[in-house]
Amino acid sequence: MNVSSKERPSTQTRVLSYAGALLETMDAALADHPNAFIMGQGVDDFKGIFGSTTGLAQKYGVERVFDVPLMEEGMTGVAIGAALVGDYPITTHIRADFSFLAMNQIVNLASKYSYMFGGIMSCPMLIRLVVGRSWGQGAQHSQSPQATFAHYPGLTVVMPSTSQAILDMYPQIIARHPGPVVSIEHRLLYNLDFSVSAGTPSKPIPLTSYVAREGNDVTVVATSVMVLEALRAAQYVAEKAGIEAEVIDLNSISHPDWELVIGSIRKTGRLVIADTSWLEYGVAGEVCRQVMLRDPSMLRQAPAMLGMAAAPCPTAKSLEDIYYPSQHETVEAILTQVRGSGHGIELPVERSMTEGYKRFRGPF
Amino acid sequence: MAAGMADFQAGECSLMDSDERYRRLFRTALTIRLVEERIIELYPSDRIQSPVHLSIGQEAVAVGVCDALKPDDLVFATYRSHGFYIAKGGSLPKMFAELYGRVGGVSKGKAGSMHLSAPEVGLMGSSAVVASSIPHAVGAALSFKRRGSSRVAVAVFGDGATEEGVYHESLNFAALMKVPVLFLCEDNGLAVHSFKNARQSYNLLEHARTFGIECRRVDEGWDMLAIRQATLDALAVVRAGRPFVLEIATGRYKEHVGVGDDFHFGYRSAADIDAWKARDPLLLDEQLVAELKPEIDREIAAAAAFAENSPFPGRDELLTDII
Ligand SMILES: Cc1ncc(C[n+]2csc(CCOP(=O)(O)OP(=O)(O)O)c2C)c(N)n1
Ligand SMILES: [Mg+2]
Repeated sequence: MNVSSKERPSTQTRVLSYAGALLETMDAALADHPNAFIMGQGVDDFKGIFGSTTGLAQKYGVERVFDVPLMEEGMTGVAIGAALVGDYPITTHIRADFSFLAMNQIVNLASKYSYMFGGIMSCPMLIRLVVGRSWGQGAQHSQSPQATFAHYPGLTVVMPSTSQAILDMYPQIIARHPGPVVSIEHRLLYNLDFSVSAGTPSKPIPLTSYVAREGNDVTVVATSVMVLEALRAAQYVAEKAGIEAEVIDLNSISHPDWELVIGSIRKTGRLVIADTSWLEYGVAGEVCRQVMLRDPSMLRQAPAMLGMAAAPCPTAKSLEDIYYPSQHETVEAILTQVRGSGHGIELPVERSMTEGYKRFRGPF
Repeated sequence: MAAGMADFQAGECSLMDSDERYRRLFRTALTIRLVEERIIELYPSDRIQSPVHLSIGQEAVAVGVCDALKPDDLVFATYRSHGFYIAKGGSLPKMFAELYGRVGGVSKGKAGSMHLSAPEVGLMGSSAVVASSIPHAVGAALSFKRRGSSRVAVAVFGDGATEEGVYHESLNFAALMKVPVLFLCEDNGLAVHSFKNARQSYNLLEHARTFGIECRRVDEGWDMLAIRQATLDALAVVRAGRPFVLEIATGRYKEHVGVGDDFHFGYRSAADIDAWKARDPLLLDEQLVAELKPEIDREIAAAAAFAENSPFPGRDELLTDII
């Protein structure tokens, strides 16, 4: 799959996988910032966090890229301490679920350090989490905690959905962002190729949202891998029904470009929200809250929402396939928004979304 | 005064110097005691509207340890940190203003008693979540090591904190990475109202040794000079790049949180603390107290007046410093 956005400068592009973009930005962080270091379980091994840190320990030395014991809370505390004396720590969790062991440090300490001490100290750092999906990840290797973390003032939460978003955000965050950042990456995206602009970042600020596809008929606000799902669905409805969906990649979950999002919803009057997590108390609710606060009448009808079923993630493929929104359901949501439930348009047959991500074949 | 003798025997200084040192340590300890006694007097007036965890009875630990440190060594402490704040050299007016919830406070009133800090003199943020600042000291020490700095970091925590998982994670990592960190346990034998024997199935030093970490217990927690010397000895190991666990027995005179006594609740007896009081230099050396008190009282009065005159933070402060 090769997805490109209309917003990207079309001149001077190159192809770069998500993992490749991560590796490039990790490499650049170490090259450009002598105070930066990367620690996490397995960052220095031959798999290098799915290829995102491979070879960096050899290149920059074991003092700057190192494995840690199984100590999620301790590691995050160590990162805070190092940040307080001027380092820029980058920590990794090969599954976002494991960061819950570090909740104390992330939520009670890192997020509060600036405010609780009246701005006299800060702990800028990057916490990288990888969300798992498919190939039987099950209940404890599949959670996508963007709403959890974005709930806490003091935490900045991003979810890059493309290689470009990584190139746009990570260098700027590492160079300038004053506080802790939780970046939620998606395992299914790692092996995908994207076209990226060859030169400078496509956006002047890292915390922003993107128009991934322009359209006038319906707005689809999506996160992470659901942006790609939304783009596939948008292409389908354009071909089958001439419907032009505008797809917004929320990208910066804690600090989205609400003007961009709301501007699109005002224009189309129709809204689909497609998130990688549960809908209850989540991103979908926040998008609706922003609409309600401004002007509920901008919506011509009740919005549609796509997310994980309200259950822990099942392992069996037959259940997992219906646990996540399928392409079938995404297309259906868009068509129903625009044409109503009796739209009569043929739906895609594909039921398992992971068919589209063939290059991910487990086990992790 | 065993440690004073040790210094003297080592020929490090003259008797005169060690006398001066004793006065210096005593003065700092007395400042902590008098500040907290002032807090006790002020508390009913509701000028301080936040929980306070007093260190009365435990002053010697903060004083002995901080005197052994260099100014740029860092201390990461807990909600019970008035003593470490003062011993590390934090400003009294800013402390009172912080306790009073005023903009003139260290953190503009956003921290209060439980989150005192004075980064300019090396007291990094204090945390009210038990054990949570222990790994911060390890992280700072890791950074010092990588930069080839001679600085060290001190993690201050209570006996109860050693029951938390992150304490074990921190010891393991510090030993593995050989970082210059001093783990300092203030063993007052209590976590709120629970005694150690009801909480711990391990011996702290034996436990530390299983990580290959050198360690020592000081039972004379009233003896500032002994604590200072024990810290200097420990720091020799730490500065050579090896973590060290220093456990110091001490006695908490007041209730866990708040400004009262708690013997009438019946969970412990005044006799437990009388043994500590019988050795407490701040109670025994009345002559030195009389000599030093007037000046310290003036400093405290000035600090309280500064706090009183400092404005309350307004709405403009509510949403600043978040990121
Ligand atoms: C993680 C956590 N659990 C429980 C508490 C409630 N609590 C506050 S102080 C304390 C006792 C801690 O004892 P110790 O570490 O010995 O320190 P001390 O108060 O004796 O100085 C407890 C349980 C807390 N603040 N944080
Ligand atoms: Mg205790």
